[in-house]
Amino acid sequence: MALINLTSIQPTGYTVLDDGAVPGEGENVAIGVDRLLHEGDAFFATAGSVGVIIDTETPFAKLTQIVEKIGFAIVDFPAFADGRGFSLAVRLRKDFGFKGEIRATGPVIPDQALFLLRAGFDTVETTDARKPAFEAALERFPAFYQTDFGGQLSVAHARHTQGGQITEEQRLSRKAPERQREAS
Amino acid sequence: MYAYDTYDHAMVNARVAEFRDQVERRVKGELTEDEFKPLRLMNGLYLQLHAYMLRVAIPYGTLSANQMRTLAHIARKYDKGYSHFTTRQNVQFNWPKLSETPDILQELADVEMHAIQTSGNCIRNVTTDQFAGATADEVADPRPYAELIRQWSTFHPEFSFLPRKFKIAITGAKQDRAAVKWHDIGLVVKENAAGDIGFEVLAGGGMGRTPLIAKPMRDFLPVEDLLSYLEAMLRVYNEQGRRDNKYKARIKILVDAMGIEEYTRQVEAEWEKIRHIPIDVPAAEVARIKSFFAPPPLAVLADEVPDVDDLAQKNFIFKSWLANNTGSHKVPGYVNVTISLKPHGGIPGDASDEQMDLVADLADSYSQSEIRVSHEQNLILPHVARRDLPALWSKLDAAGLGSPNAGLLTDIIACPGLDYCALANTRSIPIAQSITERFDDLKRLMDIGPLKIKISGCINSCGHHHAGHIGILGVDRKGTENYQLLLGGSGAEDASKAEILGPGLDEHGIVDAIEKVVAVYLGEREDGEEFLSAYRRLGADIFKEAVYGTH
Repeated sequence: MALINLTSIQPTGYTVLDDGAVPGEGENVAIGVDRLLHEGDAFFATAGSVGVIIDTETPFAKLTQIVEKIGFAIVDFPAFADGRGFSLAVRLRKDFGFKGEIRATGPVIPDQALFLLRAGFDTVETTDARKPAFEAALERFPAFYQTDFGGQLSVAHARHTQGGQITEEQRLSRKAPERQREAS
Repeated sequence: MYAYDTYDHAMVNARVAEFRDQVERRVKGELTEDEFKPLRLMNGLYLQLHAYMLRVAIPYGTLSANQMRTLAHIARKYDKGYSHFTTRQNVQFNWPKLSETPDILQELADVEMHAIQTSGNCIRNVTTDQFAGATADEVADPRPYAELIRQWSTFHPEFSFLPRKFKIAITGAKQDRAAVKWHDIGLVVKENAAGDIGFEVLAGGGMGRTPLIAKPMRDFLPVEDLLSYLEAMLRVYNEQGRRDNKYKARIKILVDAMGIEEYTRQVEAEWEKIRHIPIDVPAAEVARIKSFFAPPPLAVLADEVPDVDDLAQKNFIFKSWLANNTGSHKVPGYVNVTISLKPHGGIPGDASDEQMDLVADLADSYSQSEIRVSHEQNLILPHVARRDLPALWSKLDAAGLGSPNAGLLTDIIACPGLDYCALANTRSIPIAQSITERFDDLKRLMDIGPLKIKISGCINSCGHHHAGHIGILGVDRKGTENYQLLLGGSGAEDASKAEILGPGLDEHGIVDAIEKVVAVYLGEREDGEEFLSAYRRLGADIFKEAVYGTH
């Protein structure tokens, strides 16, 4: 497995906790939405950083009570074409102001790298074989028509930025920031 | 028309490079066909019955003469010398090689064209009135807003993997030539009492196996809120549209299941949360885009042109063409000319490379170098001086482009059908050809008047049969091609769903049936009453009796 780091965040190492298993002292763990909603204070006192694994059937409203309890979030795509995963990341950032790591797991494909970054994802778990294609895809487009959750301003706004922080030349020659990539 | 700046150029060029890489990875086996499929579809590349088919976007149906020349060149160099204009105002090439498609896309990018999002489960080419910016009956030119939506929807980070395809149409005229009520989202440009421009918003229309007419959500949405409102509409759909069954995945099914009131409530709640973050663009950007669509400087001319009237007196074909294929323009002395791609016995929507080159030259001479494509699969030369009509018509007629049948019974919409399409159950093109051969008498066609026939070779309804005054749907009945006859549909502002008249017929029976339906109309019509009005007044029974009755 390879981890693609889209945003230069410090990625969280964690264990996916089996049903019924308890976290070790200070252990970073990931659990499903329903379990997270039922765990009490003791669980959170014991564990280190707690992450939530969100499947794409989860209605975003269910995340309301979750965000304050978690350090990181994992959106698990059952299929790369299941676009609900992108909206879940947007909701976490936009509706709940979540600042922690959002990771994509499941069969997402390299050609989605910039879509993932722009929807608010930080990291992607993928196969080693796909790492080069993911890295290439991240460098592909110099600009976009939408303001996004990767921090890029839309072309429509950039065209009219007075004395802009970003000149057109800078934007068009813009290289994606140096990204750390590490195997997990 | 809109001209790319460095950003637009950079993006389409990056897209070509990306697709070239995707094709190489597919050929090397690094991408599976399942993974490659949505990527090629989002670049307009389908796998059809015999070959790949490339669908090129013609945003809101507007083309320059030079762009048309490039399409002719592509037809010559990469295809078999022709192309096919579609019901989404796009153009399709039927025989490209997979390995050459990146080169085709680069040739398109060089003239500011692309095939981005012409297929796949994403927001498709925004369509509009083919006479936009040139017709006398519009509130405002809808194309600047269509361009705004084109940009917003291109490579959208959140809405590129929707439950199903998504089609938006916009009209600026009271007479709806864009079939907005048959779209996932329909927009009608309006002006309020204060003189501000906004949109009536409709949602949940669509054809296919569950035909539904879009329902109104909002009477007036200000321009400055357009994109954030669309964003809210798409978000609710992306999250809640069905993904378990592709035939239930369009927004029409969601809106129908939750009700338009509940859908509207959820959209407006979301919109209230997002309308203040930078989704909508600065007013300066709207003004920038609008400036590309400024009306051409046309000197007012006399509407009366003796040469035109003289020729019409002498030549019934020209007189008919004048009556059917030219429409009123904003500026006195000018008209919009419809070039019919429906020659009798021909293939609806097809044009050869020579014809496309000729249309480009004629656009340079007569229509400000501008060409339009209509969803009815015809080409339009806007802004033509009335005095130029005799010369223009004779050049069109000499090239087989002078058919005087725009809006008449033989101006048929037909999908490619089983001659090309992998989804089709039956052929469509030969049915259109048989009908046009049967109704080859121009005087009779003129007498019958406006009548829209629309033919689909399967339930996916690419030929818009649900919206035909007369619709024909091809179905497979135990291995034989069978055609259902539908009556009473409309794609206009009075949108209605055509109803099946009775049992299906074979390929000869369907043509006979149309003859009988037309005979009932001619016998029963009141003074000046068009087919659709007569059908609505008379009801289906009298037509049913004529087609299926035993006496």
